[in-house]
Amino acid sequence: MRDAFFEELLKIFRLDPNCVFVAADNGAPTLDTFARELPRQYVTVGIAEQEAVGLAAGMALEGWRPWVYAIAPFVTARVYEFAKLDICAMSLPVTLLGVGAGYSYDIMGPTHHTTEDLALMRSLPGMTVWSPADGRTAGALAKHVYRARTPAYIRFDRAGLPDLGGEVNLESGYRLHRPGPGPGCRCIVTTGVMTHLALQAFGGTDTVVEVLRLPISREVASLVNGFPEVVTLEEHLLPGGLGAAVLEALSDLGDWPTPAVLRLGADGYVFDLGGREEIWRRLGLGVADIKRRVTEWSQDEPGRPDERPL
Amino acid sequence: MSFPDRDFDPVRVAEKALWVRRVVLEMAVAARSGHVTTAFSQTEILCTLYYGGLLHYRPDEPRWLDRDRFILSKGQGGIGLYPILADVGFFPLSDLANFAGPGSNLGVHAEWHVPGIEVVSGSLGHGLPLATGMALAARWSSQDHLVVCLTGDGELYEGSCWEALAVANHLELDNLVVIVDRNGQATLGYSDEIESPLDGPRHLDLEEKLEAFGLEVRACDGHVPERIATLLEDARRRVGRTGRPLAVVAKTEKGHGSAFLAGRRGWHYRVPSGEDLAAVRGDLGILTPGVGQFLDGVDDG
Repeated sequence: MRDAFFEELLKIFRLDPNCVFVAADNGAPTLDTFARELPRQYVTVGIAEQEAVGLAAGMALEGWRPWVYAIAPFVTARVYEFAKLDICAMSLPVTLLGVGAGYSYDIMGPTHHTTEDLALMRSLPGMTVWSPADGRTAGALAKHVYRARTPAYIRFDRAGLPDLGGEVNLESGYRLHRPGPGPGCRCIVTTGVMTHLALQAFGGTDTVVEVLRLPISREVASLVNGFPEVVTLEEHLLPGGLGAAVLEALSDLGDWPTPAVLRLGADGYVFDLGGREEIWRRLGLGVADIKRRVTEWSQDEPGRPDERPL
Repeated sequence: MSFPDRDFDPVRVAEKALWVRRVVLEMAVAARSGHVTTAFSQTEILCTLYYGGLLHYRPDEPRWLDRDRFILSKGQGGIGLYPILADVGFFPLSDLANFAGPGSNLGVHAEWHVPGIEVVSGSLGHGLPLATGMALAARWSSQDHLVVCLTGDGELYEGSCWEALAVANHLELDNLVVIVDRNGQATLGYSDEIESPLDGPRHLDLEEKLEAFGLEVRACDGHVPERIATLLEDARRRVGRTGRPLAVVAKTEKGHGSAFLAGRRGWHYRVPSGEDLAAVRGDLGILTPGVGQFLDGVDDG
């Protein structure tokens, strides 16, 4: 996913010499090409993320277009005030690139897990948060974010996730995964890797709306609001995360009654080893777990047409 | 243009410095806010930069591409920079009378919507990282302006400053000039002498630390304009030749210029009133209260 993005970004860098890559001692196969081919557009600051963001903002003030790359927790939580003041308070077109969304650094523990970034970054004025679930989307994001010229944060999964079908709508920031048999009563709202789990668990019965961008667009809110039951799934702590964003968007829509919403996500830091599936099991986020939890909660039979009371 | 320019006149700079202190005090009194002692600490540094010919700037064109970038990293010193920016023509002197008031854009911390201010400041530890980016951008764009960053020894407690200095050395940013307002005081505590639990940590061997980070370090009395000017004389000629950022450690005194305030604890963010105010006014030779009397232009002697 990350490399699909970098390959597209490299094409942009070759065309726009004002693009600069700021690395905090993190590599990727494609990045070697940036450094080798475009030495005047690549700078490394060492393991110093505050400096990475500050330097990037300084260059942006001078008309450059910086992209800052590090492991996701270190380019969000660690540099939060630098994102707030140096990027957002001055509305600078700096893009933060974080690899390791959610639990994708599975056995590396909470230091490398990124389970607050959606809450943190989406609360910054002017910041656009992107959360792709596959390489296809990630690749398309490069040009889209480049053209937007606003503060942005993109969280990449570390795992090589397979490409999903469906039309990617970057303008409204979502992808609709239609159910197999027909329109169901439930809407499963996901982001990132959880989209893959949701499609396994509910792909044949329910509508899956994959949120690609925060803030959530009005279009997505309207779409989700048409269902009586909504389940949000995230590899993220519940306060301030995707589920919270969905609730806010539904409330702001003002189109009552709003759906019943079940939020599934993390409720604390996880030290369990053994891999990502172990973590999911621990949190009740595995495919079987979410199926069970949603069934227990839901009032609706899967596959039933919408009988939402007015 | 070399520095000091032919107009450099230490007496004139000293007169400006006295005017700045008087205006700062009355601005703070009127607004009941403002970091008076910080402003007094940095006064001669700023006056030397702006009146002494080091900085290239165009008040009628604040974003002039070839201007030197001056970053007031210790943003609480904004109150001490505004009078100078107004005096040289970035905005009307009358704006000073409404410091931090309704509709004013002159805040307690210097922010970038003010003509002549480059960045949003107020949180310490941001100026040097931003300065490294601006200096690298200048280098890569073949621009020959300077990036001058004023930081304080209190600010140097922030780790991000040292991240930036390491990178400045790594990238050989010799177009970067770091000036340290070395007054030995932070908000509450002293940073050189430990007298109470409020003090410290000590800045042991600060100049040696800066040197160890690869900077060329010079030190002087930060209240003597000609000394500051001498140390900065070759700042522009060094660019592209030395590969080392320049650091000037200016030894200062917080609250300098007022015997009542100088070096005293507890005046970082406190505006004098009553007898204290009378004492400070006495120190500065202010005979009648109010900022308006100082805003009709500055006596250039």
